[in-house]
Amino acid sequence: MIAEKSQTAQKIIDSISASAQKVNFISGNEVEEAFTYLENKGIPNAKHEEYKYCNFDGILKKEFKNFYQKFTEVAASEIKKYKLNEAINLVVLNGNYNEALSDKIIVKGITIKNLQNFSGNNLTPIASIAKSNTDAFVAFSNAFSGNGIYLEVENANVIPMPVQIIYVNCALEDSWVSPRSFVHLQKNAELTLTERFVNIGKAKVFSNFLSEKLIEENAKLISYTIQQEGSLTYSVNTNQVHLKSNSVYDNTTITLSGQVVRNNHHAVLIGENSVAHLNGLFFTGGTQLVDNHTLMDHQVPNCESNELYKGVVNDKSTGVFNGKIFVRKDAQKTNAFQSSKNILLSDDGAINAKPQLEIYANDVKCSHGTSTGKIDDAALFYLKARGIGDASAKKLLLRAFANEVIDKIEIESLKEEIETELNTSF
Amino acid sequence: MSNDILEEHIQGDYKYGFTTNIETDTFAKGLNEDVVRALSKKKNEPEWLLEYRLKAFRFWKNLPEPEQWAHITYPKINFQDISYYSAPKVKPEIKSLDEVDPELLKTFEKLGISLEEQKRLTGVQSNIAVDAVFDSVSVKTTFRETLAEKGVIFCSFSEAVQEHPELIKKYMSMVVPATDNYYAALNSAVFSDGSFCYIPKGVRCPMELSTYFRINASGTGQFERTLIVADEDSYVSYLEGCTAPQRDENQLHAAVVEIIAHKGAEVKYSTVQNWYPGDKDGKGGIYNFVTKRGICLEENSKISWTQVETGSAITWKYPSVILKGDNSVGEFYSVAVTNNKQEADTGTKMIHIGKNTRSTIISKGISAGFSNNSYRGLVQIRKGAKNARNFSQCDSLLMGDKCGAHTFPYIEIKDKSAIVEHEATTSKIGEDQLFYCKQRGIETEKAVALIVNGYCKEVLNKLPMEFAVEAQKLLAVSLEGSVG
Repeated sequence: MIAEKSQTAQKIIDSISASAQKVNFISGNEVEEAFTYLENKGIPNAKHEEYKYCNFDGILKKEFKNFYQKFTEVAASEIKKYKLNEAINLVVLNGNYNEALSDKIIVKGITIKNLQNFSGNNLTPIASIAKSNTDAFVAFSNAFSGNGIYLEVENANVIPMPVQIIYVNCALEDSWVSPRSFVHLQKNAELTLTERFVNIGKAKVFSNFLSEKLIEENAKLISYTIQQEGSLTYSVNTNQVHLKSNSVYDNTTITLSGQVVRNNHHAVLIGENSVAHLNGLFFTGGTQLVDNHTLMDHQVPNCESNELYKGVVNDKSTGVFNGKIFVRKDAQKTNAFQSSKNILLSDDGAINAKPQLEIYANDVKCSHGTSTGKIDDAALFYLKARGIGDASAKKLLLRAFANEVIDKIEIESLKEEIETELNTSF
Repeated sequence: MSNDILEEHIQGDYKYGFTTNIETDTFAKGLNEDVVRALSKKKNEPEWLLEYRLKAFRFWKNLPEPEQWAHITYPKINFQDISYYSAPKVKPEIKSLDEVDPELLKTFEKLGISLEEQKRLTGVQSNIAVDAVFDSVSVKTTFRETLAEKGVIFCSFSEAVQEHPELIKKYMSMVVPATDNYYAALNSAVFSDGSFCYIPKGVRCPMELSTYFRINASGTGQFERTLIVADEDSYVSYLEGCTAPQRDENQLHAAVVEIIAHKGAEVKYSTVQNWYPGDKDGKGGIYNFVTKRGICLEENSKISWTQVETGSAITWKYPSVILKGDNSVGEFYSVAVTNNKQEADTGTKMIHIGKNTRSTIISKGISAGFSNNSYRGLVQIRKGAKNARNFSQCDSLLMGDKCGAHTFPYIEIKDKSAIVEHEATTSKIGEDQLFYCKQRGIETEKAVALIVNGYCKEVLNKLPMEFAVEAQKLLAVSLEGSVG
């Protein structure tokens, strides 16, 4: 069994290592450990508890016979529509930070580097949060990371406009990409960040995205994740966030498309009085699989976390929510709440939910709730009795269902864009 | 809140810790095909049952010991260090209570079961028929004749094999196949005895049926098997209660319980489990690896599990219901208490297959001391299970800051007409609740008992009267003095 698992991993390593650049901005130990992990553990299959509903071993075997690693250049005009007018737009193309396609930094307090700026740096922050021995896809990223982006907001700087990082993939033939970012908010800094994922190529892409986010004391990061990679993309998106005391992390993830989308979102509350919010919304159709995996790791007392995930599943698609609230032994006075609501529209779709509580402290308030159902018949009847047709009534109710999450988006143009996108997809 | 009181409780000794000195007929330790054959021969079993055992044994032998996926930790079990048969040396045929070993009767009396009282009360309504399982052999079945009048069969599993082989052959392994899991396979190979119950068509069983399991001889594992068959439109309420004497070495308990409910039948299965949980350092205690499963085979049937779990060092138990018949109903009500170094990973599975099936899950976990208490449950709505409905509620109460309470629900839905809700909370006893009671002159300890009782009320209410009293007592004993 183990031999078979590492076989898939080995095949991927063999086909992508020839063209991969040397990862010298991550400590040698971590890179070495990554290879050891992949050799021993391989790619997780459905027997792996964390990947029970998302068998990547099977998916990779079935969908990717080989990784050819052939990419094309992209013109500025091709990505223009993804840019936000009120934001500073940065572009990571096929895993590498692309300065030519990115906007100029016009505000004070932000430092942008590519990851290779940390080459040979013994104190490199990259991979200081995401450890190779925790997960196969973290290991893959540590071993094969692209020359991604490092974004730092300096002490006490409140950035007046949002920053958007657009991760663009464009392959000629089936390829594996490893986009990566490190977002560092110094003390008292504030930033609104949008991370958008698109695939504009004609070939299949396996996107293994990883982002580390370090939020120092009193800092605040509002972040939006917009996933619209289309039916040719299979992706694992790992976010590992460390929150120091009095800091705030607020993320809203909207999954609009993607054949297989797996989100591993970990918020680790390492400083007292920190607050983390994770919200998510997905609409799936066709044979899509969207798997949202979250972990709220409460390591210290007096922190708060909130989660709201909503999903609408149609056709033969599958929606998964797996959220864990982990309260460590000394994390007293923790308030942690989690809610997952789903609507199943078709008989061929499936929803799997696994909300978990793992609690080792007694003076806490923790709860989770999950519900799955159809569109409320009574509500539908109410609207129809007032002369609204079946289709419009359903649309209205689904919009109302989705709005609870969409309303979290504070960038107006982005919110409008998502609303328009959803209106057409119903 | 006062840690002293908690400490006091933690140091409390197991109140049912006593052993009975009775001569027992015990196999030498070890497990191989010969042991299985000898066991089968000893029980004078038909050929097909021996074949069944051997098949199960061969399957088990080749299985790797299960990975510890559950939230429990225990040292590797040496299956060769267990004796697979231990029967009290009593006269083979018992017609009246007088023939039963008086030592044995005393044991039951200490547990409050009092067969003699049962006997005296024959004919009075709301009686409990007891199939007493002492170690591995069912010693005495009371009220059998009263039951026989109604056509109810209630006897030990071995007797049923001899007297009703056609029923055993038909129903045994229907819900829990020998190949189901590691411990079910082990049980299928070496089960020593258990209870069998058959309620004929249209019969409402006139009394609560009950078995009392108790592990006695040291170093003997207990592998009993219960099979309950409720024929069309019948009703039975079945009780199972356990206490075990104090032992230093860990003892293994791997039981299998199967329930089959035909059209319109209802089975209510209640358990109070209070086996030896080990001492305050986690030494000793029973390993409880049980496979319990029922099937609502045909329409309008209902299976309800109620459990109060306070004992065992390790509990690994998921009473489940397969809702195959249309309009069938499954229920699971559970109170699980862990203290000291106890670990419990328990919950249920509700598999919805038929149309308009409904299930309810209410689980109340209480952890104290250094214990870990987990709820692990699966709600699965299969494709075509139209209008399935599930409601789950899992609450955890933490007492002390060294214990853990966990919830691992799995929800899998493949039909759009399903409505599934799950909610879980974790908290401690509120300071305000305690204050309210104390202000009214109720001392802390009683206030805690009051609050805990209120917290568990939803589940305790589901127990039959006779049992509810015992359960409440048990809860009070288990949590004596432990204040969150």
